[in-house]
Amino acid sequence: MTSRSQARLGRSILLHLFLTPLALIWLFPLWMMVVFSTMPDNGIFSPGIELLPHDGFIDNFNNLQRDTNFVGAIGISVSVAVTYTVLSVLLTSMAGWALARYEFHGKGAVVAIIFGTITLPYAVVLIPQFIMVARDFALANTWIALIVPPLFNSLGVLFMRQAFSMMPAELFDAARVEGVKEWRIFLFVALPLARPMLAALAIILFLASWNNYLWPLLINSQPGAMTAPVALGTLIGLTKVSWGGIMAGAVMLTVPMLIVFVLLQRHFIAGIAAGAVK
Amino acid sequence: MRTQNATAYRFLTPYLLIFVVFWIWPIISSFLISFQATRTVPWRFAPAFNWGRLIGDPAFYNALKNTLLILVIQVPVMIALAIGMAVLLNSPLLKARGLYRFAFFAPVVVGEVAYSAVFRLMFSLDFGIVNKLLNSIGLPKVDWFSNVTPAMALIMIAVTWRWAGYNAIIILAGLQSIPEDVYEAATLDRVSKVKQFFHITLPLLKPVIVFCAVLSIIGTMQLFTEPFLITERGGPGGGTETLGLLLYRQGFRSLNFGYASAVAYTMAGLAIAITLVQLWLMREPK
Amino acid sequence: MAAVTLTNVIKRFGSFEVVHGANIDIADGEFVVFVGPSGCGKSTLLRMIAGLEDISGGDIAIGGKVMNDVEAADRGIAMVFQSYALYPHMTVEQNLSFGLRMNGNPKADTDRRVKRAAEILRIDELMQRRPKQLSGGQRQRVAIGRAIVREPQVFLFDEPLSNLDAELRVQMRVEISRLHKELGVTMIYVTHDQTEAMTLADRIVVLKAGNVEQIGAPLDLYDDPANRFVAGFIGSPKMNFLSAKVVDTSNSAAIIELVNHGGARLRKPLRDAFPAIGAEIVLGVRPEHFFEVGEGDCDIPVKADVAEHLGSVSYVYANAGPEELIVEREASRQRAGGDHFTVSIKAERSLLFDKSGARIR
Repeated sequence: MTSRSQARLGRSILLHLFLTPLALIWLFPLWMMVVFSTMPDNGIFSPGIELLPHDGFIDNFNNLQRDTNFVGAIGISVSVAVTYTVLSVLLTSMAGWALARYEFHGKGAVVAIIFGTITLPYAVVLIPQFIMVARDFALANTWIALIVPPLFNSLGVLFMRQAFSMMPAELFDAARVEGVKEWRIFLFVALPLARPMLAALAIILFLASWNNYLWPLLINSQPGAMTAPVALGTLIGLTKVSWGGIMAGAVMLTVPMLIVFVLLQRHFIAGIAAGAVK
Repeated sequence: MRTQNATAYRFLTPYLLIFVVFWIWPIISSFLISFQATRTVPWRFAPAFNWGRLIGDPAFYNALKNTLLILVIQVPVMIALAIGMAVLLNSPLLKARGLYRFAFFAPVVVGEVAYSAVFRLMFSLDFGIVNKLLNSIGLPKVDWFSNVTPAMALIMIAVTWRWAGYNAIIILAGLQSIPEDVYEAATLDRVSKVKQFFHITLPLLKPVIVFCAVLSIIGTMQLFTEPFLITERGGPGGGTETLGLLLYRQGFRSLNFGYASAVAYTMAGLAIAITLVQLWLMREPK
Repeated sequence: MAAVTLTNVIKRFGSFEVVHGANIDIADGEFVVFVGPSGCGKSTLLRMIAGLEDISGGDIAIGGKVMNDVEAADRGIAMVFQSYALYPHMTVEQNLSFGLRMNGNPKADTDRRVKRAAEILRIDELMQRRPKQLSGGQRQRVAIGRAIVREPQVFLFDEPLSNLDAELRVQMRVEISRLHKELGVTMIYVTHDQTEAMTLADRIVVLKAGNVEQIGAPLDLYDDPANRFVAGFIGSPKMNFLSAKVVDTSNSAAIIELVNHGGARLRKPLRDAFPAIGAEIVLGVRPEHFFEVGEGDCDIPVKADVAEHLGSVSYVYANAGPEELIVEREASRQRAGGDHFTVSIKAERSLLFDKSGARIR
């Protein structure tokens, strides 16, 4: 072996020796989530060290369902996340298209206001949003309350504006010269070309909606109207509740997202790398 | 380009309506509410009512202190860790890259409630797996929930676990946009790998790192779910109370909207200051 | 088919004026090329004709109808873009028919038009492919096909050949010429390449910094340029410009002295104007208009610097004082670097310009 390849091997071993324990530590909470979800409560709260899954998932799930209507809450979460994602992708890509591809009066102001307020904390709007939705519109504990207010998120606008402005302008001019109406250019030329970006945006928005906690906690706190994270959150800290059940719920919230993550990693990473979350 | 007001606004208006109603107006409204006495109906304009109380409120200073403490410790540690993860994941020597990426990036998809629950269970005093493992290697148990310092540490550990990979993804994308030939040139110039990292990689990554830092600071500043769920409403005894939690308590438990808005605008002020610092750091060299 | 008339057309971006009042008359069926260096406003002018840019002042008429406020789609034009602008997610056939389909054109008619365009351009075989699977030349054909399908009154081309390699460019040039003959419609073509302009155009419009410098048939521009810019821009290699001074004027001629060539003098007959004695002027001589010693009216000795041998001809880059001249020589009389030789200038094969660049005739 040459000294060069020896040095490379040495560095490679060092790299793996450092990274492997770190990776295991990072995976540990997820692994324990799965393990806990399969253990009976008296197993979780026993002095022994248990690192391998048991077979109690179904029991735990039944306990969870007894503590709160988790299946119903999941149903609400799925419907809300799907509707929110579709609406948000549609609205923000339309707005992004307008900002990327048209000259119009007030464009500078719109862009400045979006950029100028993007780093303001969400906490700032929480109280007025709550007063408006719960008191002025009397929409607390409805689907609209869960879906519509979070649509303000402007990251999709900036993301899609970027995507559309990177496409060659001549493409749209060509369609324009051919007499294609603007909304058809958007629908049949721009959107199909933006498919990878739309996928990335949709995944990020779906995840944000699926995991959203604070707003649904505030606005939909009635039992039949809670989303799954809120329903699960109400159990944490209660005394007479099955922790195995809570873990089963956590697994049900997390594992589908992990599968999506593995399958669509490329889009996921593209979306996050573009700063399209939070 | 032709000026096309009508067409442009047809595409823009649906979003703009929602943006104005649920974002711009609340930003203004929140500011106005912070100057009103909201404990009695009708609300009345009383500039000193909330802000005066805020300045003299020990609970506010406690929350502010805790929030800043978490910020100052957790964000730099996490960013450093994220840079390390990204650089190592980018190494051409790494085998089974996909597995490592999964390990570090997976927490990004885990919801706050789910991971708060797991951390609470893992760190519990007598039956938590962490204390069991500490015991098994001869270390004493730590009471994560009854003492302030471990409780703060726990919050920071949890947040770091959840967000380090997220930042690593952004930094990795930044790394991959650095052209390979820069490193080849440096290698030919006999610059060591370590020096390449400090003199090429880090300076070129500066914009990305500042971006991550700002995102993380603004995120951590609003920290709510972790102290709400993991350390049980900011326990022990307000030891992990944050501004986010104070806002929640004042706004939605005591329904004291004016005071909560003042707290919210304190956060906004901090965020604006951070953003200005970012713009200053990112200014074009003259 | 239609004539295109530009009357005092102005374009401003904000307060910045990029086209300063263009007047151009294009006859029905004519092939007109807009040529000029980058930033001269030629593409902007074309996009204004197409309706892709607003007109800040003046009028654009197509077929006698003022089109200023008419949408691009309703102007009876079709356009071929520099990047081809093919829709990457559609097949060739879908690309060709997209505009017609979107506007509810009857399917039978669409099919007929697509078929005809495909035949004209010989792309029948490619109909089910996507742009990514095509070569540069094929993409170019599809882009032209998309214009043909519209059956326009006016074809607009925006630097359509600039993304092709040299060989394909020549081939497509011939193709476009053939197309013009076959269809007989008005074509307006923008390029920065004077060779393309010379070979394709019935008439050329030379633009510089937003001004029309000269309009004319290719050889008229070549032989009789209106000013130094046109003289330098049309022709390859470029025309040589020699500094000179008027030493005498008499008998409808000026005696000029070439200041960088040892006081060599030339008697240049003039028709219209006589510059003042002592005025600094410029003498323009094309590389192919340097003759052998004694054949012209004024001999100047030069030293060969570098010679490029192209086979049929050679270009000798020759030095004489501070001026570098490009001299065309037949290949049989090749010269190597370092040679000293003498060239001769003929009065009737040279042009005179004043200091501002205007032609003195």
